[in-house]
Amino acid sequence: MKLLIIEDDNSLREIMHRALTTEGYVVEVAPTYSDACDKIAGYSYDCILLDIMLPDGNGLKLLEQIKALDKNDRVIIISARDSLDDKIEGLDMGADDYLPKPFYMAELSARIKSVMRRGTGSVNKTMNAGNIALDLQSRCVTVEGNAVPLLKKEFDILLYFMQRPNHIIDKAVLAESVWGDHIDMVDNFQFVYAQIKNLRKKLADAGASQNIKAVYGFGYKFTETDL
Amino acid sequence: MKLIHKVTRRLAMVVLPVLLLWATVFFFAMVSEVNDETDDSLDDYAEMIVRRVVAGDELPTPGDGSNNTYSIELLPPTEVYRDSKEFDDREVYLFWKKETEPARVLTRIFHDEDGIAYRLVVSTPTFERDDIIRAILIYIAIIYTVLLCTILAVTVVVFKYSMKPLYSLLRWLDGYRPGNGTDGFPNEETVYEFKKLTKAARETIERAENHLERQKQFIGNASHELQTPLAVLGNRIEWMMDNTSLTEEQFTELSKMRQSINRLVRLNRTLLLLSKIDNGHFLDRSNVDIVSIIENELEVYKEIFAEKELVCKVNVPQSFVVHMDEMLATTMVSNLIKNAFVHSPEGDTIEITISQGELSVSNSGDEALDATRLFDRFYTSGKTGSTGLGLALVKSIAGYYNWGVKYSFTGGKHRFAVTFEK
Repeated sequence: MKLLIIEDDNSLREIMHRALTTEGYVVEVAPTYSDACDKIAGYSYDCILLDIMLPDGNGLKLLEQIKALDKNDRVIIISARDSLDDKIEGLDMGADDYLPKPFYMAELSARIKSVMRRGTGSVNKTMNAGNIALDLQSRCVTVEGNAVPLLKKEFDILLYFMQRPNHIIDKAVLAESVWGDHIDMVDNFQFVYAQIKNLRKKLADAGASQNIKAVYGFGYKFTETDL
Repeated sequence: MKLIHKVTRRLAMVVLPVLLLWATVFFFAMVSEVNDETDDSLDDYAEMIVRRVVAGDELPTPGDGSNNTYSIELLPPTEVYRDSKEFDDREVYLFWKKETEPARVLTRIFHDEDGIAYRLVVSTPTFERDDIIRAILIYIAIIYTVLLCTILAVTVVVFKYSMKPLYSLLRWLDGYRPGNGTDGFPNEETVYEFKKLTKAARETIERAENHLERQKQFIGNASHELQTPLAVLGNRIEWMMDNTSLTEEQFTELSKMRQSINRLVRLNRTLLLLSKIDNGHFLDRSNVDIVSIIENELEVYKEIFAEKELVCKVNVPQSFVVHMDEMLATTMVSNLIKNAFVHSPEGDTIEITISQGELSVSNSGDEALDATRLFDRFYTSGKTGSTGLGLALVKSIAGYYNWGVKYSFTGGKHRFAVTFEK
């Protein structure tokens, strides 16, 4: 799968390139508006990561161009401006997703996967990890075909982990992703621990091949269960 | 005080005494003219009698239609008299009316051709004259009042008409909010002063708008400049954590760095939101049910703060609809509730009440907080992880809609209240 990163910041571009290459994508980069124009006109990509604030042009113009060329490229807008107007404008113009800066690579890669799934027209909205299957539409989780009843937040946590297999996830980062801004003054993450404890027990009882493992004192990792 | 009132009052203060003075002078001039006229006619009457006496003609009979009376007497020839004329006012008995009346009296001494001296006393009652003077007084009073009213009324009308450009400018300024632009700004005037004023106002507004626009751009740019390095920093740390072999100590340090970066990201985001509110960027309004927001937020916070075992007493109506931006409504309610959850001691009771258009959240505390600084940006109680912006946000949002925010401390309870005015 071929990706194009349109991003003017050298350091961020380098990290994105490194992270996505590691994930097995073929990645090309365009640091400027004019570079991006050439690449878009000349080649096809499965997914374009588009920064809309470029030094020599507006990224939304590029989006217009992509749509005008009638290409099938998926577009994820990456913007430093976390503004609703930009988001709505971008999505109206045909972008597939909108990711405000700053973001973590795990988040980016999860978004790319989600957009690509939609792109292949696949009706299959499930994610798999080992013998665990997670249906995004009906919010059902099954282990080897047997349903595992999960509470709303347990489902969100599992989804977060399944989008980031083998990444070490900080308790605080997990809490922020699942509970949002609500946790910004919280100094006790017992509630995350309680949720994860229940989730682990449910997965283990169902005989899942993967589970959440505590790493050091503060993080978790979604990985194969040690047998 | 309105300018029109000031002008009218000042004008009245000048016109009132001037008109009064003029009326007084006029009145006395009229009175003296009437007196002169009375004296003249009395003199004519006396002259007529004198002429008849001298000519030996028949004298007029008293009560011949005029109200004049006269008496004539021969003066003893022992003394020498000089011709004289003397006017005075006195009570005179009118025999045809059989009573005394105030009258103007002329006493005249004259000699006939034989040199015999006579004293003639003619009098005319003054009630006619008094009638005239009374009439003059009444008319002067009427004219004076009408004139005063007319002057003031004309002034008000002329003033209002001439000051129209000023009032339309003021009206426009009243409705102006930073960021609105100069739409509907009153047209340039032809009157020199208004032209200058309108021009000055327009230039000031344009300058302010320009400034605001630049500031917005600055905030946008600053946030961009800040967000990208933040993303880089966070991701490099994440990469190290995922792809290099680290000791637990190193890993812990990196994880703490990442938490600090997350805090910076939240801070940056909140500051952006605050400046957006201050710039009036939330013009979307819809009917938002505060009660359902409270219920949703409570559910989340109860989960997060489960180990604190707080009791929530919610005393709200079935629904409470406010016309505002939904995102701001959620932010405001969420921050108020979060504040109570974060600062409550374990096992405490939090009360959330909506009554008489007021949403209040209260929780226990040891002592009153500094109410003057409580809503300031970056004022914190020393709680870790606090951005010190939560209550500032609540205040900004309330301020944006012209609602009141109150803090009080009574009976060991902090109470934060937002008064919605519909």
